[in-house]
Amino acid sequence: MDKKEDQYYIEAVRNGNIQAFAFLVEKYQKLIYTLALKLLKRPEDAEEMAQDTFIKAYQKLDSYEGKSKFSTWIYSITYNACISELRKRRIEFKSLEDQRITEQDEMKMHDYYRETKKEDQEKYLNLALGKLPEDDQVLVTLYYYENQSMDEISEITGLTVSNIKVKIHRARKKMYSLLHEMLNEEIYSLL
Amino acid sequence: MNKLDKQFEEMMKGIRIDSPSSDFTLKVMSRIQAEAAVQRRPLLQNYQPVISKKTWIILIAAFVLLMIYITVSGKDAAPAGGSVFWSAVAQSMNVFKTGESSILQKGVGIFSLVPTIAYLIVLASLALWTLDGFLGRFSHRSSEIHIK
Repeated sequence: MDKKEDQYYIEAVRNGNIQAFAFLVEKYQKLIYTLALKLLKRPEDAEEMAQDTFIKAYQKLDSYEGKSKFSTWIYSITYNACISELRKRRIEFKSLEDQRITEQDEMKMHDYYRETKKEDQEKYLNLALGKLPEDDQVLVTLYYYENQSMDEISEITGLTVSNIKVKIHRARKKMYSLLHEMLNEEIYSLL
Repeated sequence: MNKLDKQFEEMMKGIRIDSPSSDFTLKVMSRIQAEAAVQRRPLLQNYQPVISKKTWIILIAAFVLLMIYITVSGKDAAPAGGSVFWSAVAQSMNVFKTGESSILQKGVGIFSLVPTIAYLIVLASLALWTLDGFLGRFSHRSSEIHIK
């Protein structure tokens, strides 16, 4: 349904109805901006990058064959443009050290997390996500929030599926570990 | 997706997705309108030279051959409408004639054999060639919006 809807507006743009592109801008602007912000950090850079992504998508719309979802195609434009920008700035991603956290710890952490207040959950979750390396933040957002499949993420980022699996697994563990630290700190501060 | 993944996904649905400025769509659409306006320049967008490079080569070769033919076949073979200007110049050279083999006189003599229409063709071709070059350069200016 989603793909069909996108395709309808894409065809309208191709047939000369430029205003139909506004629908695609409205629909994808938040996630494109979020991805750019996670990678570039500065809001003004992310906004400019998000705008440029839509202009590029408009210019290249004829080359979109519809084999993959429009979202996958436009996220790959965003991701590649951000990576080029970071290369220009000579910024390298931080590596993620192995976390010694068991599956049982993850289960416990999740239960513990659910007991915290809703607003605190959101705050800690965003803080923990922000502490991950930039590319891992993108992978986690695409996989868990945007429900993109491993194959689609591979298409967006150019990483292999096995590499993505490993990175997402490690990022999840790291996030639980960071949440654990934050929630513990809060408990100690209350005592 | 295993249980831990499901659990984490449920948790991740709570993350805050950032929003760009409120007039984001307006900004993008105005840039796209400008882009579309540039793409709509119909006359020069797909401008093709009036005379292709191949035709130019053929025309130049034909002209050179014509010049050689006129020069070799001599004054008698020249068309009746030969250049009055060049004939006058050649005759005026007789005033300063110092010998039969005056190189200058011979050179000018050759020009007098070429009909006036040939000069007009050369001038028109040069004008067309200059205009083609100018329009060609103008149409190649990229209409793409450069991404920083």
